[in-house]
Parts: sequence; C-alpha cells; structure tokens
Amino acid sequence: MVEFLQFTLSGISFGMIYAAIALSLVLIWRGTRLLNFAQGGMAMLTTYIAIEVIYKTHSYWAGFVVALAAGLVLGAASELTVIRPTTGKPELNAVIVTIGLLILFEGLAGIFFGGTYRSFPAAFSITGLRVGGTPIGVSRFDVFVVAAVLLTTLILAVVFRYTTAGLRMRAAAFNATIARLSGIRVARVLTVGWALAGLLGALAGVLVTPSTFLYPNSMDAIFVLGFTAAVIGGLDSPAGAVVGGLLLGVALSYVGGYLGSNVTSLFALGILVAVLMVRPGGLFAGARLRRV
Amino acid sequence: MSSGANGTGPATARPAGESVSLAVDGLVAGYGGVVALDGVTVTADPAGITAVLGANGAGKTTLLRAVSGMIRPRRGRILLADHDVAGRSPEQIVRAGIAHVPEGQGVIPELTVEENLRIGMMSWRRGRRADRVAALEEEYARFKPLADRRRKPASTLSGGERQMLVIARALLARPRVLLLDEPSLGLAPRVMAQVMDLVVRLSREHGLTIVLVEQNARGALAIADHGVVFNLGRVVASADASTLAADVALRHHYLGF
Repeated sequence: MVEFLQFTLSGISFGMIYAAIALSLVLIWRGTRLLNFAQGGMAMLTTYIAIEVIYKTHSYWAGFVVALAAGLVLGAASELTVIRPTTGKPELNAVIVTIGLLILFEGLAGIFFGGTYRSFPAAFSITGLRVGGTPIGVSRFDVFVVAAVLLTTLILAVVFRYTTAGLRMRAAAFNATIARLSGIRVARVLTVGWALAGLLGALAGVLVTPSTFLYPNSMDAIFVLGFTAAVIGGLDSPAGAVVGGLLLGVALSYVGGYLGSNVTSLFALGILVAVLMVRPGGLFAGARLRRV
Repeated sequence: MSSGANGTGPATARPAGESVSLAVDGLVAGYGGVVALDGVTVTADPAGITAVLGANGAGKTTLLRAVSGMIRPRRGRILLADHDVAGRSPEQIVRAGIAHVPEGQGVIPELTVEENLRIGMMSWRRGRRADRVAALEEEYARFKPLADRRRKPASTLSGGERQMLVIARALLARPRVLLLDEPSLGLAPRVMAQVMDLVVRLSREHGLTIVLVEQNARGALAIADHGVVFNLGRVVASADASTLAADVALRHHYLGF
C-alpha cells in the first residue's frame, strides 16, 4: 500500500514534466498543425544555458529565470527565421525543418558544451520526504516540479480563456481566415505561440534534468514521452495534454515500480500505438473526429 | 481618415454622411498560374447595394478576397473613397473601413457567441471597455437571438443565427463598406428573406456601402441598386439592378433565371 502511494506520487511528479512538454507541442499544433520535433532540442539548449548561468552566478534561480527567457527567445526566433518561410509550402516542409532544427541544436550543443554527461542541480532537496518515518516517494523538489508546472498551466489557461490576447490566439488557431479578416495579425500570434512553447519546453528541461543528466540528446526520450502524453490527450486539447501527461507519468511509474524500469519505454510505446489505433483523436476527443 | 470611425467614439454614434464609395479599377488577381480576375472595374456607390453575380468560378469571391487583402492584386487599384488600398494587408484594410464576411464557415464553433463577436473588435486601435461593452450591446439589441445565447458555444446556433453572428461580427469592426459573400447560402427561404431585409436596412438606415456576392441572382437583384455580372474573370454587364433583371437574354445566359 505504501509502495503504491510512493509510485503514484512520483508518477505525478514525472507526469507534470511530460505534461509541460505535451502542452508545448499542443500550443504549436493548434496554431499551425505542425508537430515541432525540435521541442526537446530547444529544451536541451536552454538547460545548458541555465547550467552555465548557475555556474557563473552561483544562483539556481538566476539560471532558472534565464532558461525560461531563453526558451521564449529561442521559440520566437525559430518561428521567425526558419518556420515562417515554409508558410504556404507543402506541410511536410515545415516538419522536415523542425527535424533539421533538432539536429542543428544537438550539433551546436556538442560544439559549445561538449558531449559529456553533466549533472544539473535541483532547486530544493531531492531527498525523499517522510511522513511519520515512512518515505512517501517524493521530495521537496518533486513538490516544486508539480507546483511549477501547475502554476504555469493555470496562468496560461487563464490568459487563453479570459484575456483579449488569449482570444486572439484561440481565434487564430481555430480559423486563421476569420482572424485575419477581423484584423488579427495571425503571423505575430504564431510567433507568440512558439515563444510560449519554448518557455514550457525550457521549464520541462530544468525540471527533468536533475533526475537524469544533461547531454546533447538528453531530451530525446522526454520528447517522446511528452509527445505520447499529447497524443493521449488529443493534440488539440491543452487540458488533455496535462491529463495525458499525468496518466502517462503514473502508469509508467507503476510499470517501472512493479515490473522493472527496463520495460517502461516499451510500455510507453505500447500506449502510444494503442491510443493511435483505438482513439486517434485522443482519449478526450469529442464526436468531432477529423477525417481527411 | 481611417482612424476616426474605428473605435474611439461611442458605439451608437454613426455620423450621417460618412458613407463612402468603393471602386475597383482594372483589377487583375489570381492564384498561382490561374488568372481569376482579368482586369475588372466595378464601382459601388456610397450607401448603395451592389450585387455581384455570375456562375461559379466567374471570379466573384476572388474580387472580395482581393479587396479585403486576402490575396494580393497583381495590377489595378482599389479605391476606398479616393484612397488606394490595393496591396495592403487584411488588418490594414479592415481598419480602413472594409469588412469582409466570407462564404460559409464564418462562425468559430469552438468559441462562445460573445467570443465570436469580440473578435469583431480586434481591429480597434483603442476603445475603452465601456465602448466595447456598448458596441456588443448594440449588436445584441439588433440581433435578439444572439443576446439569449451569448455564453453558449456558437456551435449551438441555427443557420440563420450563424449568419446573424457573422454579420454582427463584421459590423463590430465599424466598417463603412461591407463585403458579403453568399449570405443566403444554405438558409431556409424565410430566413433568407430576413437576411436580405437586414442587408437593405444596413444600407438605407446605416449608410453602409454593400457589395453583395450571390448565386441567388433573383433575390440579390430584388434588393440591389446596381448589378454587375461576371463571367470568366471579366465584367460582362454592369447596370441598374432593375435593368439587369429586365434583360431576358442576359438572365438566361448568365444568371440562370
């Protein structure tokens, strides 16, 4: 029973990180119908930037803030420089450009930061918390992970739902023609979407890396899990992305805990294939399935 | 000249005498290698209804898309009053006072009725909250069924209500010229008559200059002041609506009634 609770809680902590990546993919997918394969690469780069800033300033929070800001800039810059020119071209062009970006980012990281594994500090203690002497499987840092992603998600949700800027973004995502005819600069809205996706990726990067190591491909696996979470939730649904991330995190935590960690990747792949076969619109797709 | 009516004044004050003409002069536009408009000249008189008629593929929709900036004209001028707006972006053109209601699918079903309407005010440069609320209430007063459903998803509206919604949204941009693409498409005859009535009132009572693209040539000519007939990207006839409606040969040949 205690074990079950431990697996659940640590699953939630990892699930929130998958949710952040999933949310970043959903933001771009909703705006442009494009899966951004460079999302993990962007997160990896911003985490390297964070580590350098922390090394120079000896302040975790300076690195944290700079990483998030770098995510915003990297997202917007990617959209403006290499994605924008693919507008009006076949959809595959943009997909290939994002794969190219991923290779570019991983190459740049190798050149500037080297290929060695580096550890990344956590904001708070990573020793497990205990309740009445019993370890509950989560640390203060895990609590911070959950709180940080939840807070960011909530802020985004409120902005999207209740502000004019949010309405502008939703309008542009749902119907670009109407948005343009109503005076919305859709291109600018897309840039903002990429910037926010970059920020979420950067957040995921600094939150996950204390549990792994940092190296040029270190985000590849996280990207795949974030993508799986997004597919579970339906690529169109921000709420689905968060729920998908949590479901995946908890499920993988049980699998890793009870069956052994060497089968978790296989299990994640199984979930991805199963969802795509049974409910390609995601678990939360309504009746309106897109058919081509 | 483009800023005055676009969002500063109170919503109800639509000064008289503000009506402007829209003149398209020698317009050439198309998609890729296809020329859809081949040197078209059309004049829409201030506060009048100009019907643009013709078969599918005649270039009617392309005309509206070129005027609203959704496609860039290759040649020709688009004069709003005496101001050439050809080649400007859609957001600049809507700010200049031209609102375009595209054919079909103009409602965003995922958003609520009120959110759909608020999109109409995105072109306002300024505008205090009170002005925006007043402008919304003005449309709710004009379109009662929308007022009752303001918090509901737009997907719950009927066909006629959807058409009300897209016209109300276009009006919220405070246009002086309204481009309507097939507003009666897919509507029941009774609802179609209501929409046509509304179009007449917008021109007569509010002084809007209206360009009405219609497949339903008979209905459009019944309310229009002037008619223009397109065929294969060119203007083949341009005359008073009553003259066109009386021209049996033209009707049989191009308008199908």
